[in-house]
Amino acid sequence: MKLLDIIHDANLNLLRNKLRSFLTILAIFIGSFSIISTSAIQAGVNNFIDSQVESYGGDGYLAIVSKDSFDALEGLQGTIGSNSKEPIEYNPDKIQDGMTPITKEKIEELKKIDGIDADSIVEQKTLSISYVASKKTDKKYLIGAEALPPGNVKVDTVTGEGLNLKADEYQILLESKYVDALGYTNENIINEKIQLVVVDQFKKTEKKFDAKVVGVIAPGVVSMGYSYTNNKLADDIYDENIKYYPPEYKDMTVAVAANYDSEKYSAQEIKDKLDDIGLSAMTIDDIIGTIKTFFDVILTVFKIFGLIALLAAAIGIINTLFMSVQERTREIGLDKALGMSSMRVFFNFSIEAISLGFWGSVFGITVSMLLGNLANNIFHAEGGFLESFPTFNLATYTIKDIIAVTALIMFISFLAGTLPARRAASKNPIDALRYE
Amino acid sequence: MTKALISTHGLRKTYGKRNNKFDALRGITIDINKGETVAIVGKSGSGKSTLMHLLALLDKPTKGEITLDSQPTAKLKARRLNAIRNKEFGFVFQSFFMNSNDTVLNNVILPLKIAGVSSRERRRRAIAALKTVELDDKRNNKANNLSGGQKQRVCIARAIVNDPKVIFADEPTGNLDSATGEKIISLLFRLNREKGITLIIVTHDLELANKCERQINIKDGHIVSDSTTDTELSDNVDDDTDNWEDEEADTQKFAGDNNIDGMLDHQPHITHIDIDKEEEE
Repeated sequence: MKLLDIIHDANLNLLRNKLRSFLTILAIFIGSFSIISTSAIQAGVNNFIDSQVESYGGDGYLAIVSKDSFDALEGLQGTIGSNSKEPIEYNPDKIQDGMTPITKEKIEELKKIDGIDADSIVEQKTLSISYVASKKTDKKYLIGAEALPPGNVKVDTVTGEGLNLKADEYQILLESKYVDALGYTNENIINEKIQLVVVDQFKKTEKKFDAKVVGVIAPGVVSMGYSYTNNKLADDIYDENIKYYPPEYKDMTVAVAANYDSEKYSAQEIKDKLDDIGLSAMTIDDIIGTIKTFFDVILTVFKIFGLIALLAAAIGIINTLFMSVQERTREIGLDKALGMSSMRVFFNFSIEAISLGFWGSVFGITVSMLLGNLANNIFHAEGGFLESFPTFNLATYTIKDIIAVTALIMFISFLAGTLPARRAASKNPIDALRYE
Repeated sequence: MTKALISTHGLRKTYGKRNNKFDALRGITIDINKGETVAIVGKSGSGKSTLMHLLALLDKPTKGEITLDSQPTAKLKARRLNAIRNKEFGFVFQSFFMNSNDTVLNNVILPLKIAGVSSRERRRRAIAALKTVELDDKRNNKANNLSGGQKQRVCIARAIVNDPKVIFADEPTGNLDSATGEKIISLLFRLNREKGITLIIVTHDLELANKCERQINIKDGHIVSDSTTDTELSDNVDDDTDNWEDEEADTQKFAGDNNIDGMLDHQPHITHIDIDKEEEE
């Protein structure tokens, strides 16, 4: 009851000088708008990245190359990359002039490592497919495809059931841009067969693979426009690609994907174990982490701007309330003469400060949500830059963020209000009543 | 003999420090009984307002003691003092002190709101208080739109809304013309008669002062005369005050004079009485 009285009176007092209160709230609005907007974008980006991580097979994913290949990459960047200031000296102990393949023996060793799921090991085969075609059109299109990484629980698909990795038929998860081009819709392409063709560049003959479409992939950053095949299709296309290789090379691979037990072992423990047998691994965090860090840095900068705006707004609150205390000196005197405690006077002004903060953050969040949803719609509409990412909402507002931002701003407002509130509370009723 | 409602003993109040030291009150001993009507008179700077502030527990004396209902007040916590002012005292001020943008009703409600009374109950009591001052038809008007006399009646309604034992009135007629002042005065005395509320009025207004049962005249921080204790004082101080009745007659004669201050100043027979002499030693 009493608290409701105080809140009610505080808001009435704010209405007494509408313009001044409005301007103060406007300043808070700017701060809260920038903070909630950056939080929303951060949440949107993180959601998107997380859904992409899923398409890699979750937390346990490892991309494995030989240790020498890492050195080679380093050598390559140091020699021809834009950071190459000085030539790198030749080191006979390192193979730095090309990727070193992983042998069958190495893969057997890998299978025996504790924590690695032996069944999940897949040789990463980047397939050379010349073109894709369908019955519905005469046009032929270039296409990139690879075997689905291991542990693929869920690829971000628009329609379809997804791959059966062990199936004995040819199956493909098709990247969405091909659906229209091949003369289908997302719905009627499922279970239809499309033709993947590998052209023998020496003999000018064509080898055709009829693959059943079992799903359409939602576009994303991580899939990079790749379509995914099941193991049988990947193996057979790969065999066609390497038929001119010497036999001893046919058994080798440059990269291997595998899953590890991410609950039992940390990424570093697994990396150390692989290091012992001459292999280097990248986890999902190593791959995605860079993108995430990049966004986080930018958004943190924006958040800091928002906080600076809030700080300025806090000074506005202090100023507004000091003026208010000055104007209402006699009123405070009367209140205290009639038995209002100093604590209650302090609360009255604190609640006024908190109310300013509350309204500022409510307006900031409301406007941000309206604009954010508008932006989401515009970006997803035809021609918008997110048109090809239907699962990506740029601005995502979570209850947690909204409550956190409101609470933060109310707290800052409270802190700002303590200075004028203390001055009001410490007024002597007699002096205050005499004040002209 | 009835116990005094408020009594003070050797009350002193000093403002400032060292060279700027100023003694507003230099030893005041009085007893105010329940139901009494007391006028505190004196010219400005005499200390009469300071005395009222101390009696109303708005300020603490530098020295001396105030007891309320036989209870010493010096050691009371701020919380208790606030509660006493809120529940047992009512205040009427010369310049009203109203929230001019708020309604009459909300102005009257203020003490009850501070006390934390529920909104239905405080509305009921505020309307009852406004009825007493015959302003309940104006309860939804803005306080700003009232005449001076109506404003002062609203203030009186605010002062009685908590059923106080004492009303402290600081120049209640100071901002009013004489006809309106008259009405305010009769309202205050009616409250005294009907509800037994003790009135303590600080005033320049001789007419008002003379309507009170008792006049306490303050000069330079001393009581120079007290109409009820005169006889006691005369025993050990002086003899001149025996004819207070005559003095009062004189005062009445001067009442028509506009220069009330000057008149109070020139009361040759009583100004030399220094009732606090013993306490000063």
